[in-house]
Amino acid sequence: MTTSTFVAGRGIVYLLDARSKLLLVLLLCIEVFLPISQIGLWVLFGGVFLLAWHATGFKQAIQPIRSIAFILVVMTLFSPLTDRDGTGLLFIGERLILTSEAVTNLSVLVARFLSITYLCTLYVWTTPMADVNLAFRWYGLGYHAALVLTLAFRFIPFIADSFRMIQDSHALRTSVEFEGRRSRRQRLADIIPTVTAALVFALKSIPYTAMSLEHRGLGRREKRSSFRQLKARGGLFTQLLVSVMIPTVFWFLFTTL
Amino acid sequence: MKSPVPEKMTALRIALMAVLTAVVVVFTLIVRVPTPIKGYISLCDVVITFAAFLFGPWVAAIAGGLGTGIADLIGGYAQWAPLSFVIHGVQGMLIALIARVGVKQGVPGDAKLPAMIAGGVVGMIVMTGGYYLAGGVLYGFEAALVEIPLNLMQSGVGLVLGIAVAKAVLKAYPPVRALAIH
Repeated sequence: MTTSTFVAGRGIVYLLDARSKLLLVLLLCIEVFLPISQIGLWVLFGGVFLLAWHATGFKQAIQPIRSIAFILVVMTLFSPLTDRDGTGLLFIGERLILTSEAVTNLSVLVARFLSITYLCTLYVWTTPMADVNLAFRWYGLGYHAALVLTLAFRFIPFIADSFRMIQDSHALRTSVEFEGRRSRRQRLADIIPTVTAALVFALKSIPYTAMSLEHRGLGRREKRSSFRQLKARGGLFTQLLVSVMIPTVFWFLFTTL
Repeated sequence: MKSPVPEKMTALRIALMAVLTAVVVVFTLIVRVPTPIKGYISLCDVVITFAAFLFGPWVAAIAGGLGTGIADLIGGYAQWAPLSFVIHGVQGMLIALIARVGVKQGVPGDAKLPAMIAGGVVGMIVMTGGYYLAGGVLYGFEAALVEIPLNLMQSGVGLVLGIAVAKAVLKAYPPVRALAIH
């Protein structure tokens, strides 16, 4: 099981520091809920999409749309039905189906959702997970909390492999002739032994991990290990300033206030 | 019961949270049960409920929140990560807090069945309601309605299997009680 979300690519997004990028993503995600014009929201989505396309290629850049396609279809089908304000655009017989206001509201919702999706996705595509953790550390995440995060990432492939092995060994006990006859309830009940075994296996590793941590010096006054420091190209202050300036300029260009 | 371990971040607690977080990620991404409408539900709620019944509110909140958040990041739904962190974190915490009412000794998993079910039901409401609100803010309350039945089913399965698995683990691996710091 791969835990990395990093996609190798090119462009300015890879040069930006994890901390300044995090600030930029956060500010822009907040900004899309402020009074911004419909055009502004689509410009933002277009810009982030083009950035993703340039950085990772079209095939990769289109993936988030595929993953949210179902929600986009549901939004298109259901959201306009409850919006009755504005000029009527579509009627079936006497019944009003679509209004101009509903189309505008749907457009805003879709652009906002796409923008947030692409902003967050582009961040995890272009920032190694270790740097994300370090960025959180810089913003105040405690040493122990960061350690939990780091350890969890180390354990995911190990537990995933163990679970698959346990699942396979349990599957060997099931007779093939009864495979098709089991009810849904029975199949759900069949999961319990596998899940229990997998959990016991994972729980047994906890005391050993705790001992390893203590051997590595956890809890001692004199620290024996520390997290590495992130380095920002061109200075962190400059990058943070740019991260604040982009949403500010965007606000002045597209605010509806 | 007074915990034998001081209320601070010990190596054991860090290891416990890290391993359970990883288990939540694995159960969210790998272990999936097909639904009648040709979709899938994940078993993350099983681990969250299990963690709440065995390890108390803080471990359940951290493992549940962090685990589902990481799963969203890895699974390609990064926009949901902060929301999942909060929703599943609160879900795990409330399940443990409600289930352990009346338990004077032992883990919340030693509680009577009605208390465990009450905790689980509150967890179901928090999870389903939380995702409905979050979905409503993100893409409209009409579209967010579609996810309610699936979330109810997922958290319901999580409650039933979570209780069964917690009881089974307590029986199969009694030393788990020694890990239960809460």
